[in-house]
Amino acid sequence: MNIELSEYKGKKIIALSGDVDMHSSPVLRDELMVLVKKKVPALFIDFNKVSYIDSSGIATFVEGLKSMKSYGGRLQFFGVPPRIMEIFNFSKLDKVFEIYGNIEDAFNS
Amino acid sequence: MKESVGITIPSHPKYLSVVRKTTDAVGKLYGLPEPDLEDIKLAIDEACSNVIKHAYGGDETKKIVVKYTITKKRFKVIIEDSGFKAQIEFMQGRSLNDVRPGGLGIHFIRRVFDGLKFDERKKKGNRLILSKTLQVKE
Repeated sequence: MNIELSEYKGKKIIALSGDVDMHSSPVLRDELMVLVKKKVPALFIDFNKVSYIDSSGIATFVEGLKSMKSYGGRLQFFGVPPRIMEIFNFSKLDKVFEIYGNIEDAFNS
Repeated sequence: MKESVGITIPSHPKYLSVVRKTTDAVGKLYGLPEPDLEDIKLAIDEACSNVIKHAYGGDETKKIVVKYTITKKRFKVIIEDSGFKAQIEFMQGRSLNDVRPGGLGIHFIRRVFDGLKFDERKKKGNRLILSKTLQVKE
Protein backbone atom coordinates (compact mmCIF):
# COMPACT_ATOMS: atom_id res chain seq x y z
CA MET A 1 0.00 0.00 0.00
CA ASN A 2 1.16 3.50 -0.77
CA ILE A 3 -0.19 6.67 0.85
CA GLU A 4 -0.09 10.12 -0.72
CA LEU A 5 -1.20 13.16 1.20
CA SER A 6 -2.37 16.24 -0.68
CA GLU A 7 -4.90 19.07 -0.55
CA TYR A 8 -7.85 19.92 -2.75
CA LYS A 9 -9.37 23.37 -2.42
CA GLY A 10 -7.93 23.59 1.07
CA LYS A 11 -9.12 20.16 2.21
CA LYS A 12 -6.97 17.16 3.05
CA ILE A 13 -6.89 14.13 0.77
CA ILE A 14 -5.36 10.74 1.42
CA ALA A 15 -4.84 8.86 -1.85
CA LEU A 16 -4.28 5.15 -1.30
CA SER A 17 -2.95 2.60 -3.72
CA GLY A 18 -2.44 -1.15 -3.47
CA ASP A 19 -3.65 -3.54 -0.77
CA VAL A 20 -5.04 -2.31 2.56
CA ASP A 21 -4.61 -5.34 4.80
CA MET A 22 -3.46 -6.34 8.27
CA HIS A 23 0.12 -5.51 7.30
CA SER A 24 -0.50 -2.06 5.84
CA SER A 25 -3.49 -0.81 7.84
CA PRO A 26 -1.40 0.23 10.92
CA VAL A 27 0.46 2.70 8.66
CA LEU A 28 -2.87 4.04 7.39
CA ARG A 29 -4.14 4.28 10.97
CA ASP A 30 -1.11 6.38 11.98
CA GLU A 31 -1.73 8.81 9.09
CA LEU A 32 -5.43 9.03 9.88
CA MET A 33 -4.87 9.62 13.56
CA VAL A 34 -2.39 12.46 12.94
CA LEU A 35 -5.14 14.28 11.03
CA VAL A 36 -7.83 13.32 13.54
CA LYS A 37 -5.73 14.74 16.37
CA LYS A 38 -5.53 18.00 14.43
CA LYS A 39 -9.33 17.83 14.18
CA VAL A 40 -9.41 18.36 10.42
CA PRO A 41 -13.02 19.23 9.55
CA ALA A 42 -13.08 17.08 6.40
CA LEU A 43 -10.89 14.33 5.09
CA PHE A 44 -11.23 12.83 1.61
CA ILE A 45 -10.03 9.30 0.91
CA ASP A 46 -9.24 8.54 -2.74
CA PHE A 47 -9.92 4.83 -3.31
CA ASN A 48 -9.32 4.84 -7.07
CA LYS A 49 -6.11 2.82 -6.87
CA VAL A 50 -7.04 0.53 -3.97
CA SER A 51 -6.87 -3.06 -5.17
CA TYR A 52 -7.87 -4.87 -1.97
CA ILE A 53 -9.22 -4.25 1.52
CA ASP A 54 -9.73 -6.65 4.41
CA SER A 55 -11.45 -6.36 7.78
CA SER A 56 -8.44 -4.66 9.40
CA GLY A 57 -8.50 -1.94 6.73
CA ILE A 58 -12.23 -1.51 7.24
CA ALA A 59 -11.76 -1.41 11.03
CA THR A 60 -9.21 1.39 10.59
CA PHE A 61 -11.75 3.48 8.70
CA VAL A 62 -14.54 2.73 11.18
CA GLU A 63 -12.25 3.91 13.99
CA GLY A 64 -11.27 7.00 11.98
CA LEU A 65 -14.91 7.80 11.24
CA LYS A 66 -15.95 7.47 14.88
CA SER A 67 -13.07 9.68 16.00
CA MET A 68 -13.91 12.36 13.41
CA LYS A 69 -17.61 12.27 14.22
CA SER A 70 -16.79 12.93 17.89
CA TYR A 71 -15.76 16.48 16.97
CA GLY A 72 -18.12 16.97 14.03
CA GLY A 73 -15.62 16.09 11.29
CA ARG A 74 -16.47 14.31 8.04
CA LEU A 75 -14.69 11.36 6.49
CA GLN A 76 -15.57 11.15 2.79
CA PHE A 77 -14.65 8.42 0.32
CA PHE A 78 -14.57 8.71 -3.44
CA GLY A 79 -13.58 6.53 -6.41
CA VAL A 80 -14.42 3.29 -4.61
CA PRO A 81 -13.85 0.35 -7.01
CA PRO A 82 -16.87 -1.99 -7.51
CA ARG A 83 -15.27 -4.92 -5.68
CA ILE A 84 -14.59 -2.81 -2.58
CA MET A 85 -18.04 -1.22 -2.81
CA GLU A 86 -19.48 -4.72 -2.79
CA ILE A 87 -17.59 -5.47 0.45
CA PHE A 88 -18.92 -2.24 2.01
CA ASN A 89 -22.44 -3.21 0.91
CA PHE A 90 -22.14 -6.69 2.40
CA SER A 91 -20.81 -5.21 5.66
CA LYS A 92 -23.68 -2.69 5.69
CA LEU A 93 -21.06 0.05 5.79
CA ASP A 94 -22.28 1.68 2.59
CA LYS A 95 -24.88 3.32 4.86
CA VAL A 96 -22.28 4.33 7.43
CA PHE A 97 -19.50 5.79 5.30
CA GLU A 98 -20.02 8.84 3.08
CA ILE A 99 -19.25 7.49 -0.39
CA TYR A 100 -19.13 9.59 -3.58
CA GLY A 101 -18.33 8.89 -7.21
CA ASN A 102 -15.59 11.48 -7.53
CA ILE A 103 -13.85 14.23 -5.62
CA GLU A 104 -16.11 16.98 -6.97
CA ASP A 105 -19.22 15.16 -5.76
CA ALA A 106 -17.60 14.70 -2.35
CA PHE A 107 -16.49 18.33 -2.22
CA ASN A 108 -19.91 19.68 -3.20
CA SER A 109 -21.86 17.51 -0.76
CA MET B 1 -8.91 -36.91 -8.96
CA LYS B 2 -8.05 -35.26 -5.64
CA GLU B 3 -5.10 -32.88 -5.83
CA SER B 4 -3.52 -30.71 -3.15
CA VAL B 5 -1.27 -27.69 -2.96
CA GLY B 6 0.23 -26.38 0.27
CA ILE B 7 2.29 -23.46 1.48
CA THR B 8 3.87 -22.60 4.81
CA ILE B 9 4.29 -18.95 5.74
CA PRO B 10 5.75 -17.16 8.77
CA SER B 11 3.04 -15.66 10.98
CA HIS B 12 3.96 -12.11 9.94
CA PRO B 13 1.19 -10.01 8.33
CA LYS B 14 3.47 -9.16 5.41
CA TYR B 15 3.07 -12.75 4.19
CA LEU B 16 -0.71 -12.44 3.86
CA SER B 17 -0.13 -11.11 0.35
CA VAL B 18 1.66 -14.39 -0.44
CA VAL B 19 -1.41 -16.33 0.73
CA ARG B 20 -3.66 -14.18 -1.46
CA LYS B 21 -1.45 -14.63 -4.51
CA THR B 22 -1.24 -18.38 -3.94
CA THR B 23 -5.00 -18.64 -3.48
CA ASP B 24 -5.49 -16.68 -6.67
CA ALA B 25 -3.12 -18.96 -8.60
CA VAL B 26 -4.69 -22.16 -7.22
CA GLY B 27 -8.20 -20.88 -7.89
CA LYS B 28 -7.38 -19.92 -11.46
CA LEU B 29 -5.63 -23.23 -12.05
CA TYR B 30 -8.83 -25.03 -11.08
CA GLY B 31 -11.11 -22.65 -12.92
CA LEU B 32 -12.94 -21.13 -9.95
CA PRO B 33 -15.15 -18.28 -11.16
CA GLU B 34 -13.77 -14.77 -10.57
CA PRO B 35 -16.36 -13.39 -8.09
CA ASP B 36 -16.04 -16.52 -5.94
CA LEU B 37 -12.26 -16.38 -6.12
CA GLU B 38 -12.18 -12.80 -4.81
CA ASP B 39 -14.39 -13.83 -1.88
CA ILE B 40 -12.26 -16.92 -1.24
CA LYS B 41 -9.05 -14.85 -1.20
CA LEU B 42 -10.56 -12.48 1.33
CA ALA B 43 -11.88 -15.34 3.50
CA ILE B 44 -8.53 -17.17 3.65
CA ASP B 45 -6.73 -13.89 4.35
CA GLU B 46 -9.13 -13.29 7.25
CA ALA B 47 -8.63 -16.80 8.62
CA CYS B 48 -4.82 -16.38 8.55
CA SER B 49 -5.13 -12.91 10.12
CA ASN B 50 -7.13 -14.50 12.93
CA VAL B 51 -4.35 -17.05 13.47
CA ILE B 52 -1.78 -14.24 13.79
CA LYS B 53 -3.98 -12.16 16.10
CA HIS B 54 -5.61 -14.81 18.27
CA ALA B 55 -3.80 -18.17 18.07
CA TYR B 56 -0.33 -16.58 18.09
CA GLY B 57 -1.25 -13.40 19.98
CA GLY B 58 0.66 -11.28 17.47
CA ASP B 59 3.84 -13.39 17.56
CA GLU B 60 5.26 -12.99 14.05
CA THR B 61 7.84 -15.77 14.29
CA LYS B 62 5.54 -18.82 14.15
CA LYS B 63 4.28 -20.79 11.18
CA ILE B 64 0.98 -21.07 9.37
CA VAL B 65 0.29 -23.92 6.96
CA VAL B 66 -2.34 -23.41 4.26
CA LYS B 67 -3.35 -26.45 2.22
CA TYR B 68 -5.74 -26.37 -0.72
CA THR B 69 -7.53 -29.50 -1.93
CA ILE B 70 -9.90 -29.59 -4.83
CA THR B 71 -12.20 -32.28 -6.14
CA LYS B 72 -15.00 -32.11 -8.66
CA LYS B 73 -17.49 -31.19 -5.96
CA ARG B 74 -15.55 -29.35 -3.25
CA PHE B 75 -12.85 -26.77 -2.71
CA LYS B 76 -11.28 -27.34 0.68
CA VAL B 77 -8.75 -25.21 2.53
CA ILE B 78 -7.03 -26.34 5.72
CA ILE B 79 -5.29 -23.71 7.86
CA GLU B 80 -3.05 -25.03 10.61
CA ASP B 81 -1.18 -23.34 13.42
CA SER B 82 0.55 -24.35 16.64
CA GLY B 83 -0.85 -21.52 18.75
CA PHE B 84 -3.49 -21.15 21.43
CA LYS B 85 -6.71 -23.08 20.95
CA ALA B 86 -9.30 -21.03 19.13
CA GLN B 87 -12.14 -19.82 21.30
CA ILE B 88 -15.70 -20.34 20.19
CA GLU B 89 -16.14 -16.55 20.08
CA PHE B 90 -13.95 -16.62 17.00
CA MET B 91 -16.85 -18.26 15.22
CA GLN B 92 -19.33 -15.52 16.08
CA GLY B 93 -18.25 -12.04 14.98
CA ARG B 94 -20.24 -8.91 15.63
CA SER B 95 -23.68 -8.13 14.33
CA LEU B 96 -23.38 -6.32 11.01
CA ASN B 97 -25.71 -3.68 12.44
CA ASP B 98 -23.39 -3.02 15.37
CA VAL B 99 -20.93 -0.70 13.65
CA ARG B 100 -17.57 -0.75 15.39
CA PRO B 101 -14.00 -1.69 14.49
CA GLY B 102 -13.38 -5.45 14.25
CA GLY B 103 -15.58 -8.55 14.13
CA LEU B 104 -16.10 -8.66 10.37
CA GLY B 105 -13.57 -11.32 9.41
CA ILE B 106 -15.74 -14.28 10.34
CA HIS B 107 -18.60 -12.90 8.24
CA PHE B 108 -16.28 -12.78 5.22
CA ILE B 109 -15.33 -16.41 5.87
CA ARG B 110 -18.88 -17.68 6.35
CA ARG B 111 -20.08 -15.74 3.34
CA VAL B 112 -18.18 -17.93 0.89
CA PHE B 113 -17.41 -21.20 2.69
CA ASP B 114 -20.42 -23.37 3.52
CA GLY B 115 -18.31 -25.64 5.72
CA LEU B 116 -16.30 -24.27 8.65
CA LYS B 117 -15.01 -26.38 11.53
CA PHE B 118 -12.03 -26.92 13.78
CA ASP B 119 -10.56 -30.43 13.75
CA GLU B 120 -10.94 -31.52 17.36
CA ARG B 121 -8.42 -34.33 16.89
CA LYS B 122 -5.59 -31.81 16.72
CA LYS B 123 -4.01 -31.73 20.16
CA LYS B 124 -1.76 -28.68 19.92
CA GLY B 125 -2.78 -25.63 17.95
CA ASN B 126 -5.65 -25.42 15.50
CA ARG B 127 -6.66 -27.03 12.26
CA LEU B 128 -9.41 -24.99 10.63
CA ILE B 129 -11.15 -26.76 7.77
CA LEU B 130 -13.01 -24.58 5.30
CA SER B 131 -14.94 -26.08 2.44
CA LYS B 132 -17.00 -24.78 -0.41
CA THR B 133 -19.38 -26.82 -2.51
CA LEU B 134 -18.69 -26.26 -6.18
CA GLN B 135 -21.30 -26.09 -8.90
CA VAL B 136 -20.78 -29.26 -10.91
CA LYS B 137 -20.81 -28.53 -14.64
CA GLU B 138 -23.18 -30.77 -16.59
